[in-house]
Amino acid sequence: MLGTISLLATISAIPIFMIIINIYSEGLRYVSLSFLIDFPPPPIGGKAGGIGPALAGSLILMSLALMIGGCIGFFTGLYLSEFSHTKLAQYTQLFLQIMVEFPTIIIGLFAYSILVVPLKRFNAFAGAFALSVVIIPYIALNVREAYKSIPYSLKEAAFSLGISHPKAYLRVLLSAARRGVLTALLIGMAKAAGETAPLLFTILGTSFSYFEGLDKPINAIPLLIYNFALSPYERWHQVAWGASAILLSIILAIFVISRIVVKEVKI
Amino acid sequence: MTWAIEVNNLNVWYGDKHILKNISFKIPKNIIFAIMGPSGCGKSTLLRAMNRLLELNPHARVEGQVRIDGIDVYNDNVDITWVRRQFGMVFQIPNPFPHLSIYENVALGPKLNGLVKNKSQLDELVKQALEQAYLWDEVKNDLKKPASMLSGGQQQRLCIARALALKPKIVLMDEPTANLDPVASSKIEELMLELKENYTIIIVTHNPQQAARISDYVAFLYMGELIEIGETSMVFTRPRHELTEKYVVGRMG
Repeated sequence: MLGTISLLATISAIPIFMIIINIYSEGLRYVSLSFLIDFPPPPIGGKAGGIGPALAGSLILMSLALMIGGCIGFFTGLYLSEFSHTKLAQYTQLFLQIMVEFPTIIIGLFAYSILVVPLKRFNAFAGAFALSVVIIPYIALNVREAYKSIPYSLKEAAFSLGISHPKAYLRVLLSAARRGVLTALLIGMAKAAGETAPLLFTILGTSFSYFEGLDKPINAIPLLIYNFALSPYERWHQVAWGASAILLSIILAIFVISRIVVKEVKI
Repeated sequence: MTWAIEVNNLNVWYGDKHILKNISFKIPKNIIFAIMGPSGCGKSTLLRAMNRLLELNPHARVEGQVRIDGIDVYNDNVDITWVRRQFGMVFQIPNPFPHLSIYENVALGPKLNGLVKNKSQLDELVKQALEQAYLWDEVKNDLKKPASMLSGGQQQRLCIARALALKPKIVLMDEPTANLDPVASSKIEELMLELKENYTIIIVTHNPQQAARISDYVAFLYMGELIEIGETSMVFTRPRHELTEKYVVGRMG
Protein backbone atom coordinates (compact mmCIF):
# COMPACT_ATOMS: atom_id res chain seq x y z
CA MET A 1 0.00 0.00 0.00
CA LEU A 2 2.63 2.45 1.12
CA GLY A 3 4.77 1.40 -1.81
CA THR A 4 1.97 2.15 -4.25
CA ILE A 5 1.34 5.56 -2.76
CA SER A 6 5.04 6.41 -2.83
CA LEU A 7 5.21 5.34 -6.45
CA LEU A 8 2.22 7.48 -7.38
CA ALA A 9 3.71 10.45 -5.55
CA THR A 10 6.94 10.01 -7.46
CA ILE A 11 5.09 9.70 -10.76
CA SER A 12 3.20 12.92 -10.12
CA ALA A 13 6.48 14.79 -9.70
CA ILE A 14 7.98 13.44 -12.92
CA PRO A 15 6.33 15.93 -15.34
CA ILE A 16 8.02 18.93 -13.75
CA PHE A 17 11.45 17.43 -14.37
CA MET A 18 10.52 16.36 -17.87
CA ILE A 19 9.23 19.84 -18.64
CA ILE A 20 12.35 21.52 -17.32
CA ILE A 21 14.66 19.14 -19.18
CA ASN A 22 12.63 19.42 -22.35
CA ILE A 23 12.39 23.19 -22.39
CA TYR A 24 16.02 23.78 -21.53
CA SER A 25 17.38 21.17 -23.95
CA GLU A 26 15.32 22.61 -26.79
CA GLY A 27 15.56 26.28 -25.87
CA LEU A 28 18.81 27.10 -24.09
CA ARG A 29 20.94 26.77 -27.24
CA TYR A 30 19.25 29.86 -28.72
CA VAL A 31 19.72 32.00 -25.62
CA SER A 32 22.49 34.57 -25.54
CA LEU A 33 22.83 38.14 -24.38
CA SER A 34 21.80 39.47 -27.79
CA PHE A 35 18.80 37.11 -27.71
CA LEU A 36 17.54 39.06 -24.68
CA ILE A 37 17.88 42.43 -26.39
CA ASP A 38 17.40 42.00 -30.15
CA PHE A 39 14.24 42.25 -32.17
CA PRO A 40 12.83 38.97 -33.49
CA PRO A 41 14.30 37.81 -36.78
CA PRO A 42 12.46 38.05 -40.07
CA PRO A 43 10.91 34.71 -41.02
CA ILE A 44 13.60 34.07 -43.57
CA GLY A 45 17.12 35.51 -43.86
CA GLY A 46 18.73 38.20 -41.71
CA LYS A 47 20.19 37.82 -38.18
CA ALA A 48 19.26 35.21 -35.55
CA GLY A 49 17.28 37.82 -33.62
CA GLY A 50 15.86 37.81 -30.11
CA ILE A 51 12.99 38.62 -27.81
CA GLY A 52 13.99 42.07 -26.56
CA PRO A 53 10.62 43.85 -26.92
CA ALA A 54 8.68 40.91 -25.49
CA LEU A 55 11.01 40.58 -22.49
CA ALA A 56 10.79 44.32 -21.82
CA GLY A 57 7.02 44.17 -22.31
CA SER A 58 6.70 41.29 -19.88
CA LEU A 59 8.71 43.17 -17.25
CA ILE A 60 6.59 46.30 -17.77
CA LEU A 61 3.32 44.37 -17.58
CA MET A 62 4.49 42.47 -14.49
CA SER A 63 5.48 45.70 -12.74
CA LEU A 64 2.22 47.42 -13.60
CA ALA A 65 0.14 44.42 -12.59
CA LEU A 66 2.05 44.15 -9.34
CA MET A 67 1.57 47.87 -8.66
CA ILE A 68 -2.18 47.79 -9.28
CA GLY A 69 -3.01 44.25 -8.20
CA GLY A 70 -0.45 44.25 -5.40
CA CYS A 71 -1.91 47.36 -3.73
CA ILE A 72 -5.52 46.32 -4.11
CA GLY A 73 -4.78 42.70 -3.22
CA PHE A 74 -2.73 43.62 -0.17
CA PHE A 75 -5.34 45.89 1.39
CA THR A 76 -8.12 43.48 0.50
CA GLY A 77 -6.21 40.66 2.20
CA LEU A 78 -5.58 42.79 5.26
CA TYR A 79 -9.26 43.59 5.47
CA LEU A 80 -10.26 39.95 5.03
CA SER A 81 -7.97 38.95 7.87
CA GLU A 82 -8.67 41.67 10.40
CA PHE A 83 -12.35 42.34 9.75
CA SER A 84 -13.32 38.77 8.98
CA HIS A 85 -16.44 39.09 11.14
CA THR A 86 -18.02 41.61 8.75
CA LYS A 87 -20.47 40.56 6.06
CA LEU A 88 -18.45 42.53 3.51
CA ALA A 89 -15.32 40.51 4.29
CA GLN A 90 -17.18 37.20 4.18
CA TYR A 91 -18.74 37.93 0.78
CA THR A 92 -15.52 39.41 -0.61
CA GLN A 93 -13.64 36.31 0.38
CA LEU A 94 -16.22 34.09 -1.27
CA PHE A 95 -16.05 36.11 -4.50
CA LEU A 96 -12.25 36.02 -4.51
CA GLN A 97 -12.26 32.26 -4.05
CA ILE A 98 -14.54 32.00 -7.07
CA MET A 99 -12.33 34.38 -9.03
CA VAL A 100 -9.26 32.23 -8.43
CA GLU A 101 -11.04 29.55 -10.43
CA PHE A 102 -12.12 31.87 -13.22
CA PRO A 103 -10.84 30.99 -16.70
CA THR A 104 -8.38 33.80 -17.34
CA ILE A 105 -9.42 34.06 -20.96
CA ILE A 106 -12.73 35.43 -19.74
CA ILE A 107 -10.90 38.12 -17.79
CA GLY A 108 -9.01 38.91 -21.00
CA LEU A 109 -12.26 39.27 -22.90
CA PHE A 110 -13.62 41.52 -20.17
CA ALA A 111 -10.56 43.78 -20.41
CA TYR A 112 -10.97 43.75 -24.20
CA SER A 113 -14.55 44.95 -23.99
CA ILE A 114 -13.96 47.75 -21.49
CA LEU A 115 -10.45 48.94 -22.42
CA VAL A 116 -9.69 47.89 -26.00
CA VAL A 117 -13.01 48.42 -27.75
CA PRO A 118 -13.56 52.00 -26.48
CA LEU A 119 -9.98 53.00 -27.35
CA LYS A 120 -10.25 51.24 -30.71
CA ARG A 121 -6.72 49.94 -30.17
CA PHE A 122 -4.93 47.10 -28.41
CA ASN A 123 -2.98 48.64 -25.56
CA ALA A 124 -0.52 47.82 -22.80
CA PHE A 125 -2.77 49.14 -20.06
CA ALA A 126 -5.57 46.73 -20.97
CA GLY A 127 -3.08 43.87 -20.58
CA ALA A 128 -1.81 45.17 -17.24
CA PHE A 129 -5.39 45.61 -16.08
CA ALA A 130 -6.34 42.04 -17.07
CA LEU A 131 -3.25 40.66 -15.32
CA SER A 132 -4.08 42.72 -12.21
CA VAL A 133 -7.56 41.25 -12.10
CA VAL A 134 -6.07 37.77 -12.44
CA ILE A 135 -3.57 38.19 -9.59
CA ILE A 136 -5.69 40.16 -7.09
CA PRO A 137 -7.43 37.08 -5.62
CA TYR A 138 -4.13 35.20 -5.27
CA ILE A 139 -2.47 38.11 -3.51
CA ALA A 140 -5.47 38.95 -1.33
CA LEU A 141 -6.03 35.38 -0.13
CA ASN A 142 -2.34 34.88 0.60
CA VAL A 143 -1.97 38.22 2.40
CA ARG A 144 -5.00 37.23 4.45
CA GLU A 145 -3.22 34.04 5.47
CA ALA A 146 -0.08 36.00 6.32
CA TYR A 147 -1.93 38.36 8.68
CA LYS A 148 -4.03 35.54 10.11
CA SER A 149 -0.86 33.71 11.06
CA ILE A 150 0.30 36.51 13.38
CA PRO A 151 -0.27 35.31 16.97
CA TYR A 152 -3.13 37.13 18.68
CA SER A 153 -0.84 38.08 21.56
CA LEU A 154 1.34 40.07 19.13
CA LYS A 155 -1.70 41.93 17.85
CA GLU A 156 -2.64 42.77 21.41
CA ALA A 157 0.92 43.91 22.06
CA ALA A 158 0.81 46.19 19.01
CA PHE A 159 -2.49 47.81 19.93
CA SER A 160 -1.56 48.13 23.61
CA LEU A 161 1.05 50.67 22.45
CA GLY A 162 -1.78 53.12 21.85
CA ILE A 163 -1.35 53.39 18.10
CA SER A 164 -3.88 53.73 15.31
CA HIS A 165 -5.03 50.84 13.11
CA PRO A 166 -2.89 51.89 10.10
CA LYS A 167 0.22 52.19 12.28
CA ALA A 168 -0.44 48.87 13.98
CA TYR A 169 -1.08 46.98 10.76
CA LEU A 170 1.51 48.63 8.53
CA ARG A 171 4.34 49.64 10.85
CA VAL A 172 4.29 46.93 13.49
CA LEU A 173 2.44 43.86 12.29
CA LEU A 174 3.44 44.04 8.62
CA SER A 175 7.00 43.22 9.58
CA ALA A 176 5.74 40.27 11.61
CA ALA A 177 3.87 39.06 8.51
CA ARG A 178 6.42 40.25 5.98
CA ARG A 179 7.48 36.84 4.72
CA GLY A 180 3.92 35.76 4.05
CA VAL A 181 3.16 39.07 2.37
CA LEU A 182 6.30 38.86 0.26
CA THR A 183 5.40 35.33 -0.76
CA ALA A 184 1.94 36.55 -1.75
CA LEU A 185 3.46 39.22 -3.97
CA LEU A 186 5.90 36.74 -5.52
CA ILE A 187 3.08 34.34 -6.30
CA GLY A 188 1.28 37.24 -7.96
CA MET A 189 4.42 38.07 -9.95
CA ALA A 190 4.85 34.50 -11.15
CA LYS A 191 1.21 34.42 -12.17
CA ALA A 192 1.52 37.73 -14.04
CA ALA A 193 4.71 36.55 -15.77
CA GLY A 194 3.22 33.31 -17.03
CA GLU A 195 -0.34 34.11 -18.02
CA THR A 196 -1.13 34.13 -21.73
CA ALA A 197 -4.90 34.16 -22.01
CA PRO A 198 -5.50 37.62 -20.46
CA LEU A 199 -3.13 39.07 -23.03
CA LEU A 200 -4.58 37.46 -26.18
CA PHE A 201 -7.25 40.10 -26.71
CA THR A 202 -5.57 43.03 -25.02
CA ILE A 203 -2.00 43.79 -26.07
CA LEU A 204 -1.84 42.42 -29.65
CA GLY A 205 1.79 41.37 -29.27
CA THR A 206 3.79 43.66 -31.48
CA SER A 207 7.29 42.26 -31.65
CA PHE A 208 9.02 44.85 -33.71
CA SER A 209 9.16 47.86 -31.42
CA TYR A 210 10.00 48.53 -27.79
CA PHE A 211 7.56 50.14 -25.32
CA GLU A 212 5.79 53.12 -26.90
CA GLY A 213 3.26 54.03 -24.24
CA LEU A 214 0.53 52.52 -22.14
CA ASP A 215 -2.07 53.23 -24.81
CA LYS A 216 -0.08 51.39 -27.50
CA PRO A 217 0.29 47.68 -28.21
CA ILE A 218 3.06 45.82 -26.43
CA ASN A 219 4.35 42.25 -26.38
CA ALA A 220 4.95 39.72 -23.63
CA ILE A 221 6.93 36.50 -23.62
CA PRO A 222 4.02 34.05 -23.24
CA LEU A 223 2.17 35.73 -26.08
CA LEU A 224 5.30 35.73 -28.26
CA ILE A 225 5.71 32.01 -27.62
CA TYR A 226 2.09 31.43 -28.59
CA ASN A 227 2.30 33.48 -31.77
CA PHE A 228 5.70 32.25 -32.92
CA ALA A 229 5.07 28.61 -32.13
CA LEU A 230 1.95 28.72 -34.29
CA SER A 231 3.80 30.31 -37.22
CA PRO A 232 5.02 28.18 -40.13
CA TYR A 233 8.64 29.43 -39.86
CA GLU A 234 11.42 27.35 -38.37
CA ARG A 235 13.29 30.50 -37.25
CA TRP A 236 10.36 31.63 -35.24
CA HIS A 237 9.96 28.20 -33.67
CA GLN A 238 13.54 28.52 -32.46
CA VAL A 239 12.81 31.94 -30.96
CA ALA A 240 9.75 30.47 -29.24
CA TRP A 241 11.90 27.71 -27.70
CA GLY A 242 14.44 30.24 -26.49
CA ALA A 243 11.68 32.44 -25.08
CA SER A 244 10.23 29.40 -23.28
CA ALA A 245 13.58 28.80 -21.60
CA ILE A 246 13.65 32.44 -20.47
CA LEU A 247 10.08 32.32 -19.17
CA LEU A 248 10.75 29.10 -17.29
CA SER A 249 13.86 30.69 -15.78
CA ILE A 250 11.86 33.72 -14.59
CA ILE A 251 9.26 31.48 -12.93
CA LEU A 252 11.90 29.22 -11.35
CA ALA A 253 13.81 32.27 -10.06
CA ILE A 254 10.65 33.66 -8.44
CA PHE A 255 9.96 30.25 -6.94
CA VAL A 256 13.49 29.90 -5.53
CA ILE A 257 13.35 33.41 -4.03
CA SER A 258 10.01 32.68 -2.38
CA ARG A 259 11.35 29.41 -0.94
CA ILE A 260 14.33 31.21 0.55
CA VAL A 261 11.98 33.81 1.98
CA VAL A 262 9.60 31.25 3.47
CA LYS A 263 12.33 29.08 4.91
CA GLU A 264 13.35 31.89 7.22
CA VAL A 265 9.95 32.02 8.92
CA LYS A 266 10.58 31.77 12.61
CA ILE A 267 7.68 33.16 14.59
CA MET B 1 -8.58 62.00 47.23
CA THR B 2 -8.02 61.33 43.53
CA TRP B 3 -8.25 57.71 42.59
CA ALA B 4 -5.98 55.90 40.18
CA ILE B 5 -8.96 54.23 38.60
CA GLU B 6 -12.70 54.16 39.26
CA VAL B 7 -14.90 51.50 37.74
CA ASN B 8 -18.66 52.04 37.85
CA ASN B 9 -21.27 49.45 36.92
CA LEU B 10 -19.10 47.81 34.35
CA ASN B 11 -20.77 45.09 32.30
CA VAL B 12 -19.18 43.12 29.49
CA TRP B 13 -20.77 40.71 27.06
CA TYR B 14 -19.21 38.45 24.43
CA GLY B 15 -22.13 38.03 22.08
CA ASP B 16 -24.96 36.90 24.36
CA LYS B 17 -22.67 35.75 27.12
CA HIS B 18 -22.61 38.04 30.15
CA ILE B 19 -18.96 37.99 31.23
CA LEU B 20 -18.66 40.81 33.77
CA LYS B 21 -21.64 41.77 35.90
CA ASN B 22 -21.99 45.20 37.50
CA ILE B 23 -18.40 45.61 38.57
CA SER B 24 -17.72 48.73 40.67
CA PHE B 25 -14.63 49.64 42.64
CA LYS B 26 -12.01 52.32 43.04
CA ILE B 27 -8.39 52.11 44.04
CA PRO B 28 -5.82 54.67 45.20
CA LYS B 29 -2.61 55.54 43.37
CA ASN B 30 0.83 53.95 43.76
CA ILE B 31 -0.34 50.61 45.03
CA ILE B 32 -0.38 47.09 43.70
CA PHE B 33 -3.94 45.96 43.15
CA ALA B 34 -4.40 42.26 42.54
CA ILE B 35 -7.45 40.79 40.82
CA MET B 36 -7.68 37.10 41.66
CA GLY B 37 -10.13 34.37 40.88
CA PRO B 38 -10.43 30.98 39.22
CA SER B 39 -9.90 30.60 35.46
CA GLY B 40 -12.73 31.93 33.36
CA CYS B 41 -14.02 34.30 36.05
CA GLY B 42 -13.44 37.36 33.84
CA LYS B 43 -10.17 38.68 35.29
CA SER B 44 -8.41 39.18 31.98
CA THR B 45 -11.55 40.65 30.46
CA LEU B 46 -11.74 43.19 33.28
CA LEU B 47 -8.16 44.22 32.61
CA ARG B 48 -8.83 44.63 28.88
CA ALA B 49 -11.99 46.59 29.55
CA MET B 50 -9.89 49.18 31.40
CA ASN B 51 -7.58 50.02 28.49
CA ARG B 52 -10.20 49.20 25.86
CA LEU B 53 -8.04 46.49 24.34
CA LEU B 54 -11.21 44.41 24.56
CA GLU B 55 -12.43 46.20 21.46
CA LEU B 56 -10.05 44.12 19.33
CA ASN B 57 -12.66 41.43 19.84
CA PRO B 58 -15.55 42.37 17.55
CA HIS B 59 -18.04 40.41 19.65
CA ALA B 60 -17.30 42.24 22.90
CA ARG B 61 -19.76 44.83 24.19
CA VAL B 62 -19.13 47.07 27.17
CA GLU B 63 -21.44 49.17 29.33
CA GLY B 64 -20.50 51.31 32.32
CA GLN B 65 -17.67 53.64 33.20
CA VAL B 66 -13.96 53.39 33.74
CA ARG B 67 -12.47 56.65 35.01
CA ILE B 68 -8.80 57.53 35.13
CA ASP B 69 -8.07 60.93 36.69
CA GLY B 70 -11.79 61.56 36.50
CA ILE B 71 -12.01 60.99 32.73
CA ASP B 72 -14.30 58.22 31.54
CA VAL B 73 -12.35 56.20 28.98
CA TYR B 74 -15.64 55.23 27.31
CA ASN B 75 -16.72 58.83 26.75
CA ASP B 76 -17.35 59.47 23.05
CA ASN B 77 -14.92 62.39 23.04
CA VAL B 78 -12.06 60.31 24.34
CA ASP B 79 -9.60 58.95 21.79
CA ILE B 80 -9.01 55.22 22.14
CA THR B 81 -5.30 55.50 21.37
CA TRP B 82 -4.96 58.05 24.20
CA VAL B 83 -6.70 55.63 26.55
CA ARG B 84 -4.35 52.80 25.67
CA ARG B 85 -1.31 55.02 26.17
CA GLN B 86 -2.40 55.77 29.75
CA PHE B 87 -1.89 52.09 30.49
CA GLY B 88 1.18 49.99 29.97
CA MET B 89 0.25 46.38 29.43
CA VAL B 90 2.15 43.18 30.14
CA PHE B 91 0.70 39.87 28.99
CA GLN B 92 0.54 36.32 30.19
CA ILE B 93 2.83 34.96 27.50
CA PRO B 94 5.94 37.11 27.08
CA ASN B 95 5.23 38.64 23.68
CA PRO B 96 8.08 40.86 22.52
CA PHE B 97 8.02 41.47 18.77
CA PRO B 98 10.28 38.58 17.76
CA HIS B 99 11.40 40.17 14.50
CA LEU B 100 12.58 43.37 16.21
CA SER B 101 15.74 44.00 18.18
CA ILE B 102 15.73 44.48 21.94
CA TYR B 103 16.20 48.22 21.43
CA GLU B 104 13.43 48.48 18.84
CA ASN B 105 10.97 46.61 21.03
CA VAL B 106 11.24 49.35 23.64
CA ALA B 107 11.68 52.24 21.21
CA LEU B 108 8.73 51.40 18.98
CA GLY B 109 5.95 52.77 21.20
CA PRO B 110 7.57 56.15 21.94
CA LYS B 111 8.63 56.48 18.30
CA LEU B 112 5.20 55.74 16.80
CA ASN B 113 3.52 57.98 19.34
CA GLY B 114 5.93 60.87 18.83
CA LEU B 115 6.92 60.97 22.50
CA VAL B 116 10.51 61.90 21.69
CA LYS B 117 12.09 64.58 19.52
CA ASN B 118 15.36 62.97 18.49
CA LYS B 119 17.51 59.88 18.60
CA SER B 120 19.39 60.82 21.76
CA GLN B 121 16.12 61.39 23.65
CA LEU B 122 14.92 58.02 22.40
CA ASP B 123 18.16 56.32 23.45
CA GLU B 124 17.79 57.86 26.89
CA LEU B 125 14.17 56.76 27.19
CA VAL B 126 14.99 53.20 26.12
CA LYS B 127 17.82 53.04 28.63
CA GLN B 128 15.61 54.41 31.39
CA ALA B 129 12.82 51.90 30.66
CA LEU B 130 15.25 48.98 30.54
CA GLU B 131 16.79 50.11 33.83
CA GLN B 132 13.38 50.35 35.45
CA ALA B 133 12.65 46.83 34.25
CA TYR B 134 15.91 45.51 35.79
CA LEU B 135 17.09 44.48 32.35
CA TRP B 136 19.61 47.12 31.31
CA ASP B 137 22.71 45.46 32.77
CA GLU B 138 21.90 42.17 31.09
CA VAL B 139 21.26 43.54 27.62
CA LYS B 140 23.16 46.81 27.30
CA ASN B 141 25.73 45.20 24.98
CA ASP B 142 23.14 43.29 22.95
CA LEU B 143 20.63 46.03 22.15
CA LYS B 144 20.80 45.29 18.44
CA LYS B 145 20.18 41.57 18.85
CA PRO B 146 16.73 40.11 18.28
CA ALA B 147 14.42 39.93 21.28
CA SER B 148 13.83 36.26 20.59
CA MET B 149 17.31 35.40 21.88
CA LEU B 150 16.36 36.38 25.45
CA SER B 151 15.17 33.89 28.07
CA GLY B 152 11.49 33.81 29.04
CA GLY B 153 12.03 35.88 32.17
CA GLN B 154 14.14 38.40 30.27
CA GLN B 155 11.53 38.60 27.53
CA GLN B 156 8.87 39.38 30.12
CA ARG B 157 11.03 42.13 31.62
CA LEU B 158 11.56 43.45 28.10
CA CYS B 159 7.78 43.60 27.76
CA ILE B 160 7.63 45.51 31.03
CA ALA B 161 10.23 47.95 29.66
CA ARG B 162 8.18 48.27 26.47
CA ALA B 163 5.13 49.15 28.58
CA LEU B 164 7.03 51.63 30.78
CA ALA B 165 8.53 53.42 27.78
CA LEU B 166 5.08 54.82 27.03
CA LYS B 167 5.23 56.64 30.38
CA PRO B 168 1.85 55.24 31.44
CA LYS B 169 -0.08 56.13 34.58
CA ILE B 170 -1.13 52.57 35.26
CA VAL B 171 0.58 49.28 34.49
CA LEU B 172 -1.72 46.35 33.72
CA MET B 173 -0.29 42.89 34.16
CA ASP B 174 -2.19 39.83 33.00
CA GLU B 175 -0.74 36.86 34.93
CA PRO B 176 2.78 38.05 34.11
CA THR B 177 4.51 35.15 35.84
CA ALA B 178 2.20 32.32 34.77
CA ASN B 179 4.68 31.05 32.19
CA LEU B 180 7.90 31.69 34.10
CA ASP B 181 10.04 29.57 36.40
CA PRO B 182 10.10 30.44 40.14
CA VAL B 183 13.35 32.42 39.97
CA ALA B 184 12.21 34.53 37.05
CA SER B 185 8.82 34.97 38.74
CA SER B 186 10.28 36.26 41.98
CA LYS B 187 12.39 38.72 40.03
CA ILE B 188 9.25 40.10 38.39
CA GLU B 189 7.54 40.33 41.80
CA GLU B 190 10.49 42.25 43.25
CA LEU B 191 10.35 44.54 40.26
CA MET B 192 6.66 45.23 40.80
CA LEU B 193 7.27 46.30 44.39
CA GLU B 194 9.88 48.73 43.08
CA LEU B 195 7.63 50.06 40.33
CA LYS B 196 4.73 50.99 42.58
CA GLU B 197 6.75 54.01 43.75
CA ASN B 198 6.01 55.56 40.37
CA TYR B 199 3.05 53.68 38.97
CA THR B 200 -0.21 52.12 39.97
CA ILE B 201 -0.04 48.44 39.17
CA ILE B 202 -3.01 46.22 38.50
CA ILE B 203 -2.16 42.55 38.29
CA VAL B 204 -4.38 39.65 37.39
CA THR B 205 -3.40 36.39 39.02
CA HIS B 206 -4.91 32.96 39.52
CA ASN B 207 -2.52 32.40 42.39
CA PRO B 208 -3.79 33.69 45.78
CA GLN B 209 -0.32 33.32 47.34
CA GLN B 210 1.07 35.73 44.79
CA ALA B 211 -1.70 38.22 45.54
CA ALA B 212 -0.99 37.89 49.26
CA ARG B 213 2.76 38.40 48.75
CA ILE B 214 2.76 41.51 46.66
CA SER B 215 -0.54 43.35 46.64
CA ASP B 216 -1.85 46.16 48.82
CA TYR B 217 -5.43 45.80 47.64
CA VAL B 218 -7.07 42.71 46.32
CA ALA B 219 -10.32 41.85 44.60
CA PHE B 220 -11.86 38.42 44.30
CA LEU B 221 -13.78 37.77 41.13
CA TYR B 222 -16.04 34.78 40.71
CA MET B 223 -18.13 33.97 37.64
CA GLY B 224 -18.09 37.56 36.46
CA GLU B 225 -19.05 39.06 39.79
CA LEU B 226 -16.93 41.05 42.18
CA ILE B 227 -17.33 39.04 45.39
CA GLU B 228 -15.01 40.97 47.63
CA ILE B 229 -12.51 43.82 47.51
CA GLY B 230 -10.37 45.38 50.20
CA GLU B 231 -6.95 45.73 51.73
CA THR B 232 -5.02 42.54 51.11
CA SER B 233 -4.29 41.88 54.80
CA MET B 234 -8.00 42.13 55.62
CA VAL B 235 -9.22 39.98 52.75
CA PHE B 236 -6.77 37.22 53.54
CA THR B 237 -7.15 37.20 57.32
CA ARG B 238 -10.82 38.06 57.68
CA PRO B 239 -12.65 37.44 54.42
CA ARG B 240 -16.27 38.59 54.60
CA HIS B 241 -17.56 36.19 52.03
CA GLU B 242 -17.57 32.43 52.23
CA LEU B 243 -16.45 32.04 48.61
CA THR B 244 -13.45 34.26 49.21
CA GLU B 245 -12.46 32.22 52.22
CA LYS B 246 -12.69 29.00 50.24
CA TYR B 247 -10.57 30.50 47.49
CA VAL B 248 -7.79 31.96 49.65
CA VAL B 249 -7.30 28.79 51.66
CA GLY B 250 -7.03 26.87 48.41
CA ARG B 251 -10.23 24.85 48.48
CA MET B 252 -11.27 26.29 45.14
CA GLY B 253 -8.99 26.74 42.21
